Amino acid sequence: MLLHLLVLAPFAAAILMMATSKEDPKSSSRLAFLFGFTFVALSISLIAAGNQATEAIEWFRIPGAKGPVYYYLYSHGLGAWMVFLSTGLSLVALITGRNTFENNYRNFAIAIFALMGAMNGTFLAADAVLFFFFFEAMVFPAAVLIAGFGGADRKKAAMTFAIYTLVGSAPMMVALWYLLTVADNSLVLSLAVAIQNLEPSMQVTLLVCFLLAFLVKTPLFPFHGWQAITYAEAPAPLSAILTGAMSKAGVFGFIAWILPIFPLSMEIVDSMLWLGLFTAIYGSLMALRATDGKKLLAYSSMGHLGLAVAGVFSLSESMLPAVLVLLVAHGLSAGAQFYLMGIAERFAGTRNIEQLGGLSARNTVFSSLFGFVAVLSLAVPGTAGFVGEFTVLMSLWDMGPLPALAAGLCLILSAAYVLRFVQKVIFGKPARDYEDGKRMTALEGSSIGIMGVLLLVFGMHPAFITNALQLFDETAVQEMNKVTHQSDVATDATVEASADSLGDAVVDENIAAVAQPMTEDDLRQLDSNLKANGFTDEERASLIAQLKSMSESEVADAENATEFNEATVNEEASKHE
Amino acid sequence: MTNLPLWFIPLFPLLGTILLATIAVVSSGSKKGPSEGFVGALSVLFPVLSFLSVVLLAFGMPEEGVRQTLCNWIDIPMLKVDIGFLFDGLSRVMLLFVTGIGSLIALYSIGYMHGDRGFTRFFAYINLFLFSMVVLVLSDSLLLTFLGWEGVGLCSYLLIGFWNHDLNNCKAANKAFIVNRVGDIGFLLGMLCLATLGGSAILNYDALNKFIEMLIAGGHVDLAAPILMIAGLLFFVGCTGKSAQIPLLTWLPDAMAGPTPVSALIHAATMVTSGVYLLARLSRMFSVIPEALVIILIVGMLTAFWAAVAGLFQNDIKKVLAYSTISQLGYMFMAAGAFAFDASIFHVFTHAFFKAALFLGAGAVIHSLAGEQDMRRMGGLIKKTPITACVMIFSFLAIIGFPGFAGFWSKDLILERIYTNAPYGEFFYGAGLLTAVITAVYMGRLIIMTFFGEYRGSKESEEHIHEAPASMLIPMVVLAFGAVFAGYLWADSMGIKFFEHTLAPVVGDAQNYLLGKLDVVHVNPMTFACFGTAAAVLGMIIAYVVYGLKRQPRLHAKWGSAPEGFKADWTFFFDYIHEIFIIMTKVAAFVVDMIVDKILQGIQWTVGSIVEIVGDGVSSFQVRKVRVQLTLSLVGVVALVAVVLLTGGLF
Repeated sequence: MLLHLLVLAPFAAAILMMATSKEDPKSSSRLAFLFGFTFVALSISLIAAGNQATEAIEWFRIPGAKGPVYYYLYSHGLGAWMVFLSTGLSLVALITGRNTFENNYRNFAIAIFALMGAMNGTFLAADAVLFFFFFEAMVFPAAVLIAGFGGADRKKAAMTFAIYTLVGSAPMMVALWYLLTVADNSLVLSLAVAIQNLEPSMQVTLLVCFLLAFLVKTPLFPFHGWQAITYAEAPAPLSAILTGAMSKAGVFGFIAWILPIFPLSMEIVDSMLWLGLFTAIYGSLMALRATDGKKLLAYSSMGHLGLAVAGVFSLSESMLPAVLVLLVAHGLSAGAQFYLMGIAERFAGTRNIEQLGGLSARNTVFSSLFGFVAVLSLAVPGTAGFVGEFTVLMSLWDMGPLPALAAGLCLILSAAYVLRFVQKVIFGKPARDYEDGKRMTALEGSSIGIMGVLLLVFGMHPAFITNALQLFDETAVQEMNKVTHQSDVATDATVEASADSLGDAVVDENIAAVAQPMTEDDLRQLDSNLKANGFTDEERASLIAQLKSMSESEVADAENATEFNEATVNEEASKHE
Repeated sequence: MTNLPLWFIPLFPLLGTILLATIAVVSSGSKKGPSEGFVGALSVLFPVLSFLSVVLLAFGMPEEGVRQTLCNWIDIPMLKVDIGFLFDGLSRVMLLFVTGIGSLIALYSIGYMHGDRGFTRFFAYINLFLFSMVVLVLSDSLLLTFLGWEGVGLCSYLLIGFWNHDLNNCKAANKAFIVNRVGDIGFLLGMLCLATLGGSAILNYDALNKFIEMLIAGGHVDLAAPILMIAGLLFFVGCTGKSAQIPLLTWLPDAMAGPTPVSALIHAATMVTSGVYLLARLSRMFSVIPEALVIILIVGMLTAFWAAVAGLFQNDIKKVLAYSTISQLGYMFMAAGAFAFDASIFHVFTHAFFKAALFLGAGAVIHSLAGEQDMRRMGGLIKKTPITACVMIFSFLAIIGFPGFAGFWSKDLILERIYTNAPYGEFFYGAGLLTAVITAVYMGRLIIMTFFGEYRGSKESEEHIHEAPASMLIPMVVLAFGAVFAGYLWADSMGIKFFEHTLAPVVGDAQNYLLGKLDVVHVNPMTFACFGTAAAVLGMIIAYVVYGLKRQPRLHAKWGSAPEGFKADWTFFFDYIHEIFIIMTKVAAFVVDMIVDKILQGIQWTVGSIVEIVGDGVSSFQVRKVRVQLTLSLVGVVALVAVVLLTGGLF
């Protein structure tokens, strides 16, 4: 029910909004806020409710395809958090939009709700065709919003955005169509099975078609041509949604569709990893030179998302929680920065950072918030960004020191451009004379402030995010099998197939905190580490023996340790149910 | 009261931060601002409460320390870290002076910041700094230390750029943050390096020490040494950033753009010594990689010498003190490099008193001269501001190592250890002694130019010179007291070794392990004391002859205080080197922006216009409505898909 509500109700809300008066932004904004709050509440309860799925309803049949297309929604930690970002950012967009678009607020709200519904659908769809439907549907409300509410160059931006992203996903559509002719239906498992039976060259062709769509959406170098102009010309609240939630659809696609379906060769993984890192450095360097505040933020998003994609393709065991925390952190901090940039533009009448400056004297509360959010986006420890970036860095370090060094370079560059941005916007003296525009209202300030506080909370207690994470656990696989009605043999194969690519990532390996006696798992972990570092077998054996004797002597006084181990065992048991 | 929970110590400054930040934001709209007395009382109260809890805990601390785990922090498959605190001999010493000097400087700032527009904001930052610093020192794992580590860097950034309407201050702040970020990445990668060796669990200090013990016990040191070496050097990169050592030291002189109490607290007494603290904390790890210690020794020596010479060339009173801080930090690193972690921490401790007193004194001088910082425009102030002058002269005697004063005991100890422990000890001892002479010269120059001779400023400013208010004088006097007597906690030649025993549980193992391999040369400590005294006296005589005897010329009013010619080249040598990297980044950014991106855009628009021409596209229709355009683009997409499908049929 929750899933249906989150996907369908935004569209209903959009239709209901039409009933409100266009001339009276007051009443329409009240209704819009009400809906917005409801959706945020729903998305929070979705996260709290854990994994769940709706009944698979047969939707239609594609000519030539073997099986039907289902209307089938499935929520896991990753999707639920992305839905939270989409609803949360939409709500703040509705709030900040209220003071920016006086006249046409109703239409703004309608488009935002339509966009929210499409995004939720993308993140919750369990059926590939349904996913693709929503994935494309996102583009239209966004394009309409850009064309209707954007800056001076809005028409060109809207066209570029729509055409670029639609063309980018066209090959995926073809590939999907082809896949459907060989697969039993369009659920992940059957697609994965179908792929296994194809020739390797065909597999690569299909993979490239899929990758292209997500590369454009994220976007990664060299498919970022649409991004800067779109983010810059779009109204600031929309830019926030685009970067905070919609661009995540690309990363989401890599995790939830590419990894489970396709068998990935090492070359593909490596090249995607380096593409991600290159994008990250590229975006950071572009941000260093950008003079348009929103373009600067767009490039900074590119930098962070490049890092996230690199993290995804590091394929380490902690990849998934690491990337999820990074995505949530980036969604909140980049979103908040776009809103604030929008408010700065409203106040000072320009978004060229060379023309701004001195806001800390003219508008102190705004500047405090601006500086606060900028610091949060710097991945200072204690914020969610740090947890995300550190864990991603850790995953990258597993691939070798070079990727980690590249990511470290990005962190340095990000400090450079964020500080430059802060300095140009709020410090110094105003670069020119202007009439003060509309200031930040209390509602806007507090809603953006809450996003900042959330970043701190997630930074000190990331378990809120990481605990929700069980992507395609056993129950989900079984449920999908029920829909598919496959023979047992095929089932095993699919389970294995998906476990190969993704299951590993979810397996929780037990690393005890160290002051406590070492468990067998620890020793094994240590053993493999030592082996990797060139210890011979004898040396390892003797070292481990010592470790064992030392830890046994400690067992007596370590009650906490046993408790801890029990807890983890329980946790694991529940996972393997 | 010993069962006081450890998290009380960071809690108080955190509460102070939240409270003061709220007041600052809420009152930002009003013209008058909140009452300074009220805000000032609050901002001193929280550090003092924190200090009191440290004192209470310090008295009841068992020898092996107190360990408490607050809660879980990060828990994902590869990384499990708790928020835990470790209160032992090392963190006790650090906390005592961090919170103690922090409280004193907060008190001093009430007078110094009087009437400033950002009065409340300033104290919110100071409290945030104390919180971060306490977390840095008190944490029981590297990751939590890193939280404090970046936290203090952030506060340093905020406070250097405190007067942010002047863009030069902002630039100094940005520089500090970015240079520190470079070091921080070293710290981060060092943690990752350790984690590959023994899992994320060994980020905990106790676990790391145990791990090293096991390596030693099993004779596996040689195997793990290469990775530990890399990790150690990466951590040292982090230390060079935070503690302003070669090559990441350029930010500290610029950091003097901040208010003077900040320079005293952050850029002299506490934050910049956290690199030394980290080395002592990781002493067990460094004990198995003596090669890294040699590198630290060399870097420390070069930094100490270079900065001392640069200190000779400065005209700005705060810049002299900044280079002097760098030079003294070099001494501390030399000590750590010569396996004398306890001596390095002892110098951190004594240095905190006399350098904070010097900075506060300089602040009082600047305050009384209404912002004048150029020493060439000072002179003869001993008659106008006698208390400040006394404080500064006592601290001066302490820093040059005059017998009986705090610096004498700690610096002598360091030099002695360098001579006995280090490879080529004679050479490093000589370099240290030479640096000590230069220290006495530039500090003597500072004292002579500021307090003696005749006043060289403008006539009208002379009448306004006044002694600082009591809230500023009290902390200065207390610190000067420390500058005189702090050294007696470890007066080696008098047989008092209290400080050594305090630190023994933390760094003793590492030092004994290292020293066990050496034949320690035994030299009579009195010999070192004589040489040290001789160096100090020689330096003072040189300073008197060069700067005290002849009259200083009056300066043209418009001249800046920056050094010129060769002096500038020496001072800014590392800035030039940094400039190379900055230019490289800028060139890369330029290439990316102007060439790569333009080419990509070109390709994009070429493809776009070809499609437009081929499809006889949007431009010829001249449609106005976006919806129609979108429909058209959809039609285009469908056409495209059809084409692809037709060709795709050939798969």
